[in-house]
Amino acid sequence: MKMPTFTYHRPATVAEALAVLASEDDAKILAGGQSLIPLMAMRIGQPEHLVDIGRLDELDYIERRDDHIAVGALTRHAAAEDSALVQTGAPLLAAALGHVGHRAIRTRGTVCGSLAHADPAAELPAVALATGATFIARSTAGEREIPAADFFQGYLDTALEPNEMLAEVRFPLWPDRAGAAVVELSRRHGDYALVGLAAAIDLDDAGTIGGAALAFFGVGSLAVRIAEAEESLLDKTPGAEAFAAAGRIVTETIDAVGDNHGSAAYRNHIAGVLTTRGLAEAFDSIGDRV
Amino acid sequence: MRESLAGSFVGTSVKRVEDERLLTGAGSYIGDLKVEGMAHAAFLRSPYAHATIERINAAAAQRLPGVIDIITGEEMQAITNPFVPLGMIDGLYTPLFWPLAIDRVRMVGDPIAIVIAESRYIAEDAIQLIEVDYEPLPTVANMAEATRAGAEQIWPRADGNVMFRTEADYGDVDAVFASADRVISETFESHRHSNQPMETRGSLAEVTPDEVIFHSAAQNSHGLRWVLAMATSSEPVLDSVKELAGPGRDKLKAFGAGAKAFITERKDDLGDADNKGFIHQVRHDPTTLKHLGKVFMNVLAQDERRRPRVVADDIGGAFGVKGHPGREDAALLAAALKLNRSIKWIEDRNEHLTVGGMAREETLSVQVAVNDDGELLGLKVDMTMDQGAYPAVPFGAATFAGIMRVMMPGTYRFKAYSMKAAAIASNKAKYVAYRGPWANETWVRERMLDVVARELGLSPTELRLRNMYGVDELPTKMLTGPTLDVRMSAKATLEKAIEVAGIDDFRAAQAKARENGHLLGIGFSTYHEGAPGPPDYADAILPGSGAMMAEPLTTVLEADGTVSVITAQMPHGQSHETTLAQVAADQLGVAMDQVRVIFGDTAKTDFSLLGTGGSRGGPMGGGATLFAARGLRDRILDEAADMLEANRGDLEITDGAIHVAGVPSISKSFAEVAEVVRTRPGSTEPLTGSVEYDGGPGGWVQATHVAFVDIDIETGFVTIPRYVVVEDCGELINPAIVEGQVRGGVAQGVGAVFYEKSAYDDDANFQAGTFMDYLIPTAMEIPDIEIHHLETPSDIEANFRGVGEGGMIGSPAALTNAVEDALAHLGVRITEQHLPPTRILELAGVIAPA
Ligand SMILES: Cc1cc2nc3c(=O)[nH]c(=O)nc-3n(C[C@H](O)[C@H](O)[C@H](O)COP(=O)(O)OP(=O)(O)OC[C@H]3O[C@@H](n4cnc5c(N)ncnc54)[C@H](O)[C@@H]3O)c2cc1C
Repeated sequence: MKMPTFTYHRPATVAEALAVLASEDDAKILAGGQSLIPLMAMRIGQPEHLVDIGRLDELDYIERRDDHIAVGALTRHAAAEDSALVQTGAPLLAAALGHVGHRAIRTRGTVCGSLAHADPAAELPAVALATGATFIARSTAGEREIPAADFFQGYLDTALEPNEMLAEVRFPLWPDRAGAAVVELSRRHGDYALVGLAAAIDLDDAGTIGGAALAFFGVGSLAVRIAEAEESLLDKTPGAEAFAAAGRIVTETIDAVGDNHGSAAYRNHIAGVLTTRGLAEAFDSIGDRV
Repeated sequence: MRESLAGSFVGTSVKRVEDERLLTGAGSYIGDLKVEGMAHAAFLRSPYAHATIERINAAAAQRLPGVIDIITGEEMQAITNPFVPLGMIDGLYTPLFWPLAIDRVRMVGDPIAIVIAESRYIAEDAIQLIEVDYEPLPTVANMAEATRAGAEQIWPRADGNVMFRTEADYGDVDAVFASADRVISETFESHRHSNQPMETRGSLAEVTPDEVIFHSAAQNSHGLRWVLAMATSSEPVLDSVKELAGPGRDKLKAFGAGAKAFITERKDDLGDADNKGFIHQVRHDPTTLKHLGKVFMNVLAQDERRRPRVVADDIGGAFGVKGHPGREDAALLAAALKLNRSIKWIEDRNEHLTVGGMAREETLSVQVAVNDDGELLGLKVDMTMDQGAYPAVPFGAATFAGIMRVMMPGTYRFKAYSMKAAAIASNKAKYVAYRGPWANETWVRERMLDVVARELGLSPTELRLRNMYGVDELPTKMLTGPTLDVRMSAKATLEKAIEVAGIDDFRAAQAKARENGHLLGIGFSTYHEGAPGPPDYADAILPGSGAMMAEPLTTVLEADGTVSVITAQMPHGQSHETTLAQVAADQLGVAMDQVRVIFGDTAKTDFSLLGTGGSRGGPMGGGATLFAARGLRDRILDEAADMLEANRGDLEITDGAIHVAGVPSISKSFAEVAEVVRTRPGSTEPLTGSVEYDGGPGGWVQATHVAFVDIDIETGFVTIPRYVVVEDCGELINPAIVEGQVRGGVAQGVGAVFYEKSAYDDDANFQAGTFMDYLIPTAMEIPDIEIHHLETPSDIEANFRGVGEGGMIGSPAALTNAVEDALAHLGVRITEQHLPPTRILELAGVIAPA
């Protein structure tokens, strides 16, 4: 388990980094290295060029803008986890971060790295889907915005072109009467989830459910939202009955993929259980914020 | 002056001598070693479970700068001998195989080539450049396929894929079964899982002008040394014959005399069984004779500078897997000898998970004859073991089948018992010893007793109490032969466990928790273990083997007055440096820091077949230390009596000072005695005390485990709110160390039942090659483990019993019994050992089976 040889680039500016991505055929960005380095050690990934963005401090930021919270490419999980801006402006992201590996991993790994890596068992892609985040891809040719629904394309596969950097991700500012919860089951403390759910729910003025987002991870090659279950919640009185009904729909609809750690039937069932639990937790959290 | 320290170390939780070195990073593991000119090795391994090798092209790899050599199967075959079977057991056929695969691969990870390069990085780069053409063959992925008529045969000379068969009857089985009110049957399956020490395997073959030193993380340096000598001394036979007829004549004579003495001494024990095993082997593979002859000649004639001296130092755990010399070790040494260069190989985790060794894949069909009142009468067991493709060296599944056969009835009063066992080959990694390799006798028996109890409407503890030998019935003999002496206290551990478990309170809590979707369960298991076992134990397993179990040990008074304890034990986490020093210090009346434990180097330690394994460290190592140190003490006192002009009988030792009782002011130190001995005209040999300790009366270690589980019926997740162990290992040398051993074993049992599985798919593709796939429980998953010690009093001097394995022997049964108890109201019966959340929900009927 020793890495193959590669050329290491440590650009001093974003422009330089983009230039390497543009000029080299097989170049990969090295952010926190928490996913890329193990893959290289196992020789599953063998990029010829690594572009280490670790010195690009200009990419290390969390900002509150008009209608979103922006997270830069070098922002570590731990920085986002500790950020008051994230807690108030993007509570679903905040709820997810504590589940990402262990704290030690979160001090190195980055929010954008996790999203760009697009592991279907990871928490953050589901958060991005549930919240309708926007991805800012940058290359020497300029910048483009990619909506979350288009960003994730398959197992470890995104809409990013090889010459593009995920420069920033934007999470829409959280509505007032909304709740967030990330619930998951993992075999051991700190493991990737067997199945997880990023749940958001908001209430209309009457106190009934005005909107819901249920994004599941660990169930297939992509994180998925289950529209049928989300819609079933609309205009319902929040509570055990509506949540359990949504859970049943999820179990019937989600069609999870099984593996040695959990069969398909198991994951379908758990997705339903987590729906009930996650919605209850999300609903409870509304009170915390208003 | 302080009070005498003599007699004060054994029985106390002295801090571990090893810890300062290990915890400050000063340990010396294989990975730390560097020697002049050292090259690095990596292995090219098969991605196929079963295939022929059509062609290998290593030309491009060979040209890579930094690559020193690439040795593939054919060349390796020319410079090594096959692993010749050493333990030949009746009914066992052991195929011959070489360090590398030659024209056929038989498992994923089968080594095909060894690449030697200036760095491990380059070696791995080169591996990617080697082209191999494979022709895939049908695979044998499991027992059902192995025994299917028309299944692919993995070893052409075997009987199908059956490598071993044995059968034994004790008592009148048919009559007893016929007399019973009923017979209850069940089949149990345990899954492959593996040892996974923190440190993987690894070795450094150091070639110097004077000798070849094989540094290795090995549980048994002497065993490894001779297996390697046999595998790598592959000169043409004619050369060996010439050597032995000429310059090496004395070697031959010496060997002949030694062999004759060995056989004469043991002629009552050896014999029949060995002959049958030999005949069975040769009938299956007549070339065994040719290879044995060649190996024997070569080893005798071998230039001793090329026979490796094996040195093992700090080892990061093993749990049995490092007691098996590896094919990689032999390939590494052969390459080093060929190139005349030092080479190191460190197994990586993926390799260790894939081919390091796996254990316990067994299916056992059990029948119990029982009366309706709960009286156990008869037991029949039919076991199949999956030993993988290549048998472990020097012993494997068949040996453990023997221990299972003897131990299966436990400490219960069965009147008759029969056991059939078979081991089959599959396209999977080798079956190795793992902490209590026979542990499934306990799992299956204790699991089955719960099944029986439930069918009879008795409580599991009631059934056990009713049928277990009580102390008033001792001594007696197990049906299978070994004596249960008066210290056999299995029943006492059960009684104590019942007392501390609080079953009534538990049942109340269980009923209440069900209302909240939590299913609580309690499970008991009781076992006894031959560590070291009574004097008639080893021979009951394998006739003649008792004679080979002795533990050599030497204590030496060094020139500076310190004492060295030189042991053939090979510590790899058991704390021998502490416990043996405790025993020696007490015998000698000195402080712990005056005693040093020396191990691991075949040039320094006495020959032993076993090293450390089978929980022998405490009983055999401890006992040998006690008697060897006592011998040394006698010699020291003899000398001191002369020096003090005193009566030998009046002397005593206080804090390392030898004086006449009551007159501490006039004394001699150990250093002064050593000085007199060292400077005495004519003799400069230091004083020593040596033994070949046979274990004395030996005895059993026993325990009862009680597991409490809490199952979330929505998720199938199991937590363990409480875990109790009541154990009796005789006199505790160091309670903290005993408890550490027990806890570690229980943790591995928790891993086995709920987390760890060396998974293969139906085509024998390995699926658990990383720690994201092979789940080892972390500290977060392991419960607090509550330990109670019973110490049955005895006037036996070395009353130490082993505790290395018991934690893992007792825990799978207690845990699976607890799970069944939690699910019993749903009509669930647990017949498999591995119970991940998916399986729990399938069993509980929450989800459909996959
Ligand atoms: C033991 C362990 C447990 C873990 N558990 C979890 C878990 O439970 N949940 C979870 O979600 N994750 C887990 N992780 C992974 C962790 O979250 C990683 O931090 C994350 O997946 C990748 O972030 P990184 O910054 O380390 O990216 P890197 O490893 O540096 O890169 C990952 C991939 O993304 C690409 N990339 C990175 N940044 C960019 C960018 N700005 N633009 C374009 N491409 C980019 C890289 O080229 C590479 O292909 C775990 C990791 C470990 C080691």
